[in-house]
Amino acid sequence: MASIDYPIPVRHLITLLKQLPGIGPKSAERIAVWLVQHGTDTGIGLSHALAAIAEDIIECRVCGFFATQAEGCAICHSSARENDVLCIVEQPTDILPLERSGAFRGHYHSLRGRISPLDNIGPDDLRIDELTLRLTKGSFQEVILALSSDVEGEATAHFLVDLLSAFPRIKVSRLAQGLPAGGGLHSADELTLLRALQGRVTAS
Amino acid sequence: MLRSLLLSRFRCFDSLRLEIPQGVVLFHGSNAQGKTSLLEAACILLRLQSPRATALGECAQFSQNTFGIAGSLEGKETNSLRFHYAENGRKLSVDGESQRSATDYLRHSALVVWMSNEDLSLVRGSGEQRRRFLDFMASQLFPGYREALKSYEKALRSRNFLLKRDARPPWPQIDAYTHILDENARILTQCRRLLVESLAPLAERGQKEIASSEENLHITYESASGDNDDLFTTLNARRDEELRRRVTVSGPHRDDLLLSLNDKPAAKFASEGQQRTVALALKLGQANLFLQSRPEPPVILIDDIFGELDPDRRNALMAYWPLASQKLIATTHLDWLDDRFADAARMRVSQARVERES
Repeated sequence: MASIDYPIPVRHLITLLKQLPGIGPKSAERIAVWLVQHGTDTGIGLSHALAAIAEDIIECRVCGFFATQAEGCAICHSSARENDVLCIVEQPTDILPLERSGAFRGHYHSLRGRISPLDNIGPDDLRIDELTLRLTKGSFQEVILALSSDVEGEATAHFLVDLLSAFPRIKVSRLAQGLPAGGGLHSADELTLLRALQGRVTAS
Repeated sequence: MLRSLLLSRFRCFDSLRLEIPQGVVLFHGSNAQGKTSLLEAACILLRLQSPRATALGECAQFSQNTFGIAGSLEGKETNSLRFHYAENGRKLSVDGESQRSATDYLRHSALVVWMSNEDLSLVRGSGEQRRRFLDFMASQLFPGYREALKSYEKALRSRNFLLKRDARPPWPQIDAYTHILDENARILTQCRRLLVESLAPLAERGQKEIASSEENLHITYESASGDNDDLFTTLNARRDEELRRRVTVSGPHRDDLLLSLNDKPAAKFASEGQQRTVALALKLGQANLFLQSRPEPPVILIDDIFGELDPDRRNALMAYWPLASQKLIATTHLDWLDDRFADAARMRVSQARVERES
């Protein structure tokens, strides 16, 4: 006798849910059952939202941030931004925290990753050609490297610094590393303190 | 010093709770009963690395993938340390407060000296053994060394992979990693040099005392980073060689510690007895260096060598080791015991159980 399982549509839903990041077989089953029992409205809303994403959301061809087919990229199409500074980040999601800080009004360039040979990711897999194209055509005076400070992030930064030496009129800078705002010295680890000391600024 | 040790699913121990007295503690029992594993557990708890296994996952029980070690330390303050290993990450805590980084955790721990029969490979073995010895010491003494070593090793793996992967190596990418090697190599080289400078006189004096004759041990650190420790320039100059051999040809991963006895290389020209003395002198030098460096004496873990040493070396070891240190000694037999060990606590280890005998 064949063993009893959920009907095919439910099983199909579970299979799809399992592919989502952070969702294992148990969670997928729980979500699917909840949608079947209580979540018809949510489910239909979800399916509309998913369809809208698939249809409308694209990666901005210029900066790599999330954009819509209809209105394009909110950053690249804005006229209120400074056109001479470019901030390079690893992922489009890194743009939002920088935006929320309110301290940066220039343009962004997301690389969509970082160099990591052991994961088989090289410069060709990143949006580096798009970057050089932008720098050649644009009027950027300064490029800020806002990459993570682990080995891969640093390697990517070094790679870009070499690459950017082909644009002698552009100033290249990196984010400072140091003490977290509002934190005491006792809560910082040695490496952070060391970097903070090395990158100290004149106080008067 | 280590006051207590708690093991859970660690190697042969399902669960174990052990109070550890101060001074000399003897763990004795036949082979394969768990003596070395006890010392190893103490080493992992205190330093987060095993002197035996290269990956900590090996320390879990067969068919398990997690283990835990906890213990309390008594020094200028009392700390309880807890280490939990699982396949998807480890958890560290001090006095119940979880620690984000290994550096934060290790700050509360004691220094450790590990002595075993394999110490002879410090003299006879490859440079790898001596670098491990330097790394084990330096990461205990210098904050930042451990992190620099990890970054260096990671960058080195990527760089070597890039050198091997393509018919024509992608030099711009390789150079990006050369920068990272260079930055971290400066930290490693500087610490190793400083370390050997302070270790050398102690080990050289140790050699004389143990050998009780004029044996001049000479220890020198040989950096493989090139002139002025400028690894970036050194590697650039050796690009042809790297293209041929397809590995990173210089840097701290090729450093060595040169050991010579009466001006001749100890690995080739010293007798086996002399070599054993050199190995012992290095480890005792380490113990005395740690004694000088911190207010709390190091914990000395001695795996099995006691029974193997001849009486002269045994006496020298006991004359020269830091008196204030706690010493945990694993041994298969006790017939070398004399009245100097009258105060030593004896623990019998049998089939992963430990019983206090005296």
